[in-house]
Order: sequence, then C-alpha cells, then structure tokens
Amino acid sequence: MTISSPRRTTARIAAGVASVAALGMLASCSVANSESAGGGSSSDDTLRVVLQQEPPTLEACDANLTSTGVVDRSTITEPLIERNPTSGELEPLLSTEWEQTGDTEWTFTMREGVTFQDGTPFDAEAAAHSIDRAVNGDLGCDVEGYIFGETDLGVEAVDATTLVVTTPEPDPILPLKLSFIEIVSPETSADEMVREPIGTGPYAIDEWQAGTSITLARNDDYWGDAPAFANVEYQWRSEGSVRAAMVTSGEADIALGLSPEDGIGDLGVSYPNNETIALRFSGQTAPLDDIRVRQAINYAIDREGIVSSLYPDGDVVAAQLVPEGIVGHNPDLEPWPYEPDEATALIEEAKADGVPVDTKIIMPVRTAQFPKVSELGEVLREQLSQVGLDVELRMVDTTQHLQYQTAPFVTDEGPIAMLIQHGNQAGDAQFSVEQYMLTGAAQAEFGDPELDALIEEAAKTTGDERQAAYEEVFAFERENVVALAPIAHQTAMLGLSDRVSYEPNSSTGDELRIKEVSPAE
Amino acid sequence: MWTYLRKRILQSALPLVAVVLGVFVLARLTGDPSKLYLPLNATEQMRADFAERNGLDRPIWEQMGDYFLGVLRLDFGESLRTGENAASMVLRAFPATLQLAGVTMLLAIVIAVVIGSWAALKPNGIADRIVSFFSMVAAAVPDFWFAILGIWIFAITLGWLPTSGVDGGAAVWVLPIATLMLRPVGVLAQIVRGSMVTVMGQPYVKVARSRGAGELRVVTHHALRNAAAPALTVAGDLTVSMVNGAVIVETIFGWPGIGKLMIDSILQRDFAVLQAAVLITALAIFALNIIIDLGYALLDPRVRPASGSRRSSRPGAHAEAGTGAERRNENGTEKKAAAHV
Repeated sequence: MTISSPRRTTARIAAGVASVAALGMLASCSVANSESAGGGSSSDDTLRVVLQQEPPTLEACDANLTSTGVVDRSTITEPLIERNPTSGELEPLLSTEWEQTGDTEWTFTMREGVTFQDGTPFDAEAAAHSIDRAVNGDLGCDVEGYIFGETDLGVEAVDATTLVVTTPEPDPILPLKLSFIEIVSPETSADEMVREPIGTGPYAIDEWQAGTSITLARNDDYWGDAPAFANVEYQWRSEGSVRAAMVTSGEADIALGLSPEDGIGDLGVSYPNNETIALRFSGQTAPLDDIRVRQAINYAIDREGIVSSLYPDGDVVAAQLVPEGIVGHNPDLEPWPYEPDEATALIEEAKADGVPVDTKIIMPVRTAQFPKVSELGEVLREQLSQVGLDVELRMVDTTQHLQYQTAPFVTDEGPIAMLIQHGNQAGDAQFSVEQYMLTGAAQAEFGDPELDALIEEAAKTTGDERQAAYEEVFAFERENVVALAPIAHQTAMLGLSDRVSYEPNSSTGDELRIKEVSPAE
Repeated sequence: MWTYLRKRILQSALPLVAVVLGVFVLARLTGDPSKLYLPLNATEQMRADFAERNGLDRPIWEQMGDYFLGVLRLDFGESLRTGENAASMVLRAFPATLQLAGVTMLLAIVIAVVIGSWAALKPNGIADRIVSFFSMVAAAVPDFWFAILGIWIFAITLGWLPTSGVDGGAAVWVLPIATLMLRPVGVLAQIVRGSMVTVMGQPYVKVARSRGAGELRVVTHHALRNAAAPALTVAGDLTVSMVNGAVIVETIFGWPGIGKLMIDSILQRDFAVLQAAVLITALAIFALNIIIDLGYALLDPRVRPASGSRRSSRPGAHAEAGTGAERRNENGTEKKAAAHV
C-alpha cells in the first residue's frame, strides 16, 4: 500500500462528497424553493383548507368523487338545484323553479343574469350542454354511474330560460338527481374530461400547483352574495395528526377528516356525516345462507359496547342502513339487542339442522377506511367467535376490498361477512336500498322477491307515501331477509381555527361550501 | 472507462426490462381497477366501457407489447386517476425526492465523518461513548415517530418551524431532513468510527505520526481515505433507498416526491404512473450504482475497472459521475478539466 499524498486525498474526499451533493442539486427544478414564501397564505383574506388528499381532477362531472366534489361543488361550480343537507329540502340555485309537466317530463326555469367565470352567459342551452355531457356522453363521468346508471335523459332548451328534461320512466326524484350535476361553461369540451372546470360559482380556479396546492380567487361577477374570503388555498396531507397540527399551529383554518386521537383538542368539531357501518353477508354461501346464522351474528354484536368504547364522540347505534334525516329512515326500528345466548341458541339450532356453522367466515375490513377500523374488526371477530363462529379477519386495501364489495362478487372464498361503510349523501333511501337490497344490485349478493317488489314500488312514490314505503322496506328486510348487520351511524370531525366560523353539516365531507365560511367575530 | 460503462449499461438493460415487465404483470394481478374508478353501483356495461376506454379488455400480452413499444417512444401512457401524462407526473415528483435525498445524504455524510472520526480518536473514551450512544439511538428511532414528535415540539409547541409543506423558505426543509437524516447519520457514524479505529492502528499511521504529523492531519490526510470505503458502500445503499422514495417522510410532510406518488399509484392501481415511476427510479439507481463504483475506484486503486487503465481517464470519469444521473454524454470537458491528478 502506498501512502498517498495528503493533498490529493483531501481533494478526492471532497470530490466524493461533492458528487453526492451534485445529485441533489442537479434536480434543480426547485420544488421547495426558498422564494415562494407561502404566497398569500398568511394574509387575512385567504382561507386555508387542508384536505386528506389532492383531488385527482376537478372535472365537474366527477364531482361525486369525494376528493373532487369537496373543492368543486357549490364553490367553483354550481348545480341547478341544491339539497339543503340539514332540512333535506331542495333549494333553487341556478334554476329558480321547477315543476313536473308530464309523466316523464320536468320543466326548469333558469336564473337570469348569471355568467360563467369565462364571461359566457349562463342559459338553458348551457345547462343542457352540461347535463348532456355528464349523463349521455361517453366520458364515463362519475355522476353518470353514481346517479343515473344506464338511464339517458332527454334535454331540450326551449328558450333561454326554460329547460325541459325528459326521462324514459317516470322519475319522482329527478330534481334531486339533477342536484348532483354541476353546470360548466358551454365552452367545455364534450369529448374529453377537463381537469380545471369553469363554472358559475363564487370562486374560480386561480392556480393549481400540482402536488402542492390549489388556489381559488373570488369571482367578482358572482350572481349571489359575495363570499367573505378573497382567496382560498387548499393543501393536502394524508396524515391526520399533521392536518390537526396545521390548524393548531395556525397554518390552516379548516382541516377535514380528523379523528379524536389526532390531537386537535378544542378546535375539533364533530358532526354526523350520514355514513353507516354494517356487516354485509354473502347470503348464498353456507352457513350464511341460513337466516338463523345471520340473525345470530346480529345478536352477537355488542353495538352499545362498540360505540361507547371505540366511538364515544357522537356515533349512534344503528338499526338500519340509513340514519335519521334520510327520507325513508324508519324511526320505529330498534337496533338488534346484544343477546349472545340467543345467538348461540340460533347457531345450535341451525347446526342441528345440518347447517355447516363451523365453516370459516371471512371478514374483509378495509385498512384506514375510518378511524379505529382495525380495532373494530378485532372486536367483531372476537364477539362472533364468542358465540361459536369461526371468523377470519382479513385486513385489505381499497381495491381488494372493492373486489368483495361490488358485483361480480368473490364466490370462491367461502362465506363472507364484510365490513362496509355506506354513505347516503343524496338524502333519500332509494340510493341505499337499490344498492344493497335489490336482487342483482351492484352491492347486494342476494335478495328476496317480496323485498324486491316493495323496493320497486317505493321508487315510484312521492311525499309521505314515499317515506312510509321505504320504512316498510327497512322493516321487512330486518324481519325477513337480514342481508346486513347494521352497527353504527358515524360522525366525522373537522378542525376549525379561531379565525373562522363555519357550521359543518352532513355533506361537509363531500362539498365544503366555502361561501358558508366567514371570519370569526 | 468507456468499455466499463458500456458493459455496465448492457448489464443493466436486462434487469431494467425485467423490472418494467414484472411491475406490469404484478400490478395487474392485484385487482381490477375498474371497481376503484367506477361508482359502486356501476353496471356491467359501464365496466366494459371502462375496460375498453383504457385498453384493459385486451389480452395482457397485447397490452404489454403496446406498453413496451410506448416506452421505447418515451410514451408512458396516461394516469387512470388524473388523466394526466404519466411521465410528466413522475418527472414532476422525482426532483423533489432527489433534492431531499441529496441534501440529506450530503449532511449525513459530513456529520457522520466528523463525529465518527472524533469518536475513533480515543476508542472507549468519553467522546466515543457519547457518539456511540447517540448514533445508535439515531439509527434505531422510528422515523414516523420522530417526525410527529418533531412537528409537535417545533411547530406546535415552540412555533419555530412550519408543520409541513414545501412553501415557506428554508424552514420547511428542517424537519423532513432531520427526520430523514437520522438513520444515515447513526449508521454511518458507527461505520466511520469502526473503520477509523482499525485504520488508526495501522503501521502507516504510526509512520505518519513518527514523522511528526499532527493528530488532525493524520486523521484527515492519512486515515480517512482508507477508512472511507466501507462508509461509501453503506452510504450508497442508504442513498439508493432514499432515491427510491422517502415514503414516510414524504407522506407525513406533504412532500410531493416520488415515494408518495408511487405509494399512491399502487393504492390506486394507477398502472401507467406506477410503471413510469418504477422505471425512472430503476434508472436512477442504476446510475447511482455506477457512481458508487466509480467512487470506490477513486478511493482505492486496487478496485479500479481494468479497462480504465489509463490513469488520466479516471478523474474525468468521476467528474462525469457527479453529473451522470442527468447528462451522461456531456462529460468531455469536465473530463479534461479534472484530468490533472
């Protein structure tokens, strides 16, 4: 070994270090540069919101996606009609009035004096374009699948302020369905998705810094009352405790999707979010094809215990798939009582009749679907095994969970009791029962002909009759079908800084109406 | 040198193809994305439309062929999730990770060399004990815990630093880098200390001392170079794992890097983005490995590539290595400039 010249060694080590440094410095398209010192985020005029994730797109016809809608709906774009999430009433927005003018025909009157953020005037033609684009086109819009399915709508602008919409079948809740369609400028392409929509809302997109933030600026030509803040800045952090920290440290004014252990303290506000959690049974596979086993599972779950120990901040024990406040909720249904002895007896009875109650039941649970979901899975597994069932808890990610959740169903893994979380954001039980209880529906593994008939009849009714019809559906399902074991109606939590005041409601997580946020007194 | 590079590139081409195709197939085995992208109550028809729109209805080998031809034309396809070009999403995210990894490793190496050498001066002395204790703690602390604790102390309680994000000047770098640096500093300090202790006992160090060299000079001029090779190996591995995406740090601090993008694209079954991200990461790791090899050659003549026998080419090769990740072909001038040793 030679002794190297001292000078050379130093030079080389320095060069070695420098080469590592160069790797970093070369990547100089600066993402975190020191110049962009927060923009207007410290200004009093900017409302700062931190979301769980970056919206994949702001395309208005995808606003049914929670992460898109929370930014778009009633902030950047607006629908013809808006559902008041508290009262459940439909309220005029871009349409001032509407009426059913035939069995399958509805007529809507457009608001006058409204312009889009690009200056184009809003009229019936523009509304027709948006509806046609979202529902009848080939874009594969989320709203099409979620609300309208295969149904196409006839849309015709009779004159500048009159829009006539026709449906193939009589549809008593067409106005409610149309409240999901965000109206975009007629300049919007009908052939492709548009990531940054132009609407009529109180704010327009100012800048979308991919990966970092979205900034909105107040639309000075807004037809309604001017909103309080001049700008809105959305950021996103996937970690709940970081979102909470941003509010407590004064970096953000509103943080969505918090859970009690995120450390938000007094700045946390709980509110019901119309989500219900339940077990859903694969009722065509033994032993879950026997109603006694499904009843036994319902008796085996200690709902009170679960709510009081895991979710003490406002969740309530559930008796059915929809909470109070949704049209069709049956207030007379009592939650299944916790009766493990009854459960054991039912299972013994089934066993005596030759039902293979020892078969392992798979329980798929989605990781991080809601706070303490894995603890809940453990508790359910334990409670079911207490009454003699063999349950395997299977923690899966979203995509795997969806393989179990929607048709075509997983059929080769034996009996499945999956944990589902169902949100009814439309306010009408139709959206729930037609997904989970109707034979052949996308999320119903089995059904019952009598129940199907009730569901189909209920869909055609209106008013008090409708309420009664869906109450009957829930009562019948509970008594004769037992496709589900409802567990709890949930609450959500957001963080709210001292700077602002805002009253969250059941649709806050899906549409955070910035115009309803004001500076604190 | 050129023979060596050519050989390395050829050697790496096959694994690269295997990685690209492997990711292609494996990603598709993990579930049908149509269920993720369509509403829960989507009909059979809508599923079929979705598959057709995204080419998922065709046989997998056909999709793979198309994809591969696309890659050769630098067309990586579109994101299922955002509808954006997958390559531009990846190229937007990658610099953020490289910056983070580069600065972190630079600081980590400097700190580790200084404290590791300090500890090695007097094995089992007080400095050694302090350094050993803290470096072990640093290497063992879970990063997500440290990150959250850091936010709680420095952002919430003291209010000195922002909690997260990339806007807000130099301050936003502090917590992510401190978190990311822990393990490298801890591990490297141990390694530097260990190899320095060995080297300091070697005869040539004694010779240097006997010739009157001061302790500082002995360390910096004689011992470090020979102690550096093991540290370089480990530093290389640590850098590779960081370039792969500092998933936890990026997720917690909202740093829009490749790790976050990759984990999101896996969870979202966003195949095009995942494939593009894996490919560019694989390329970067491949480049990094060449840099590390060249680093060895620089430190120790015995491991210099046989083909690079002409002395003058080596330092040039090194200069190239510094910039190699981005512009492999522009090294001519640097080569000349550095060819003085």
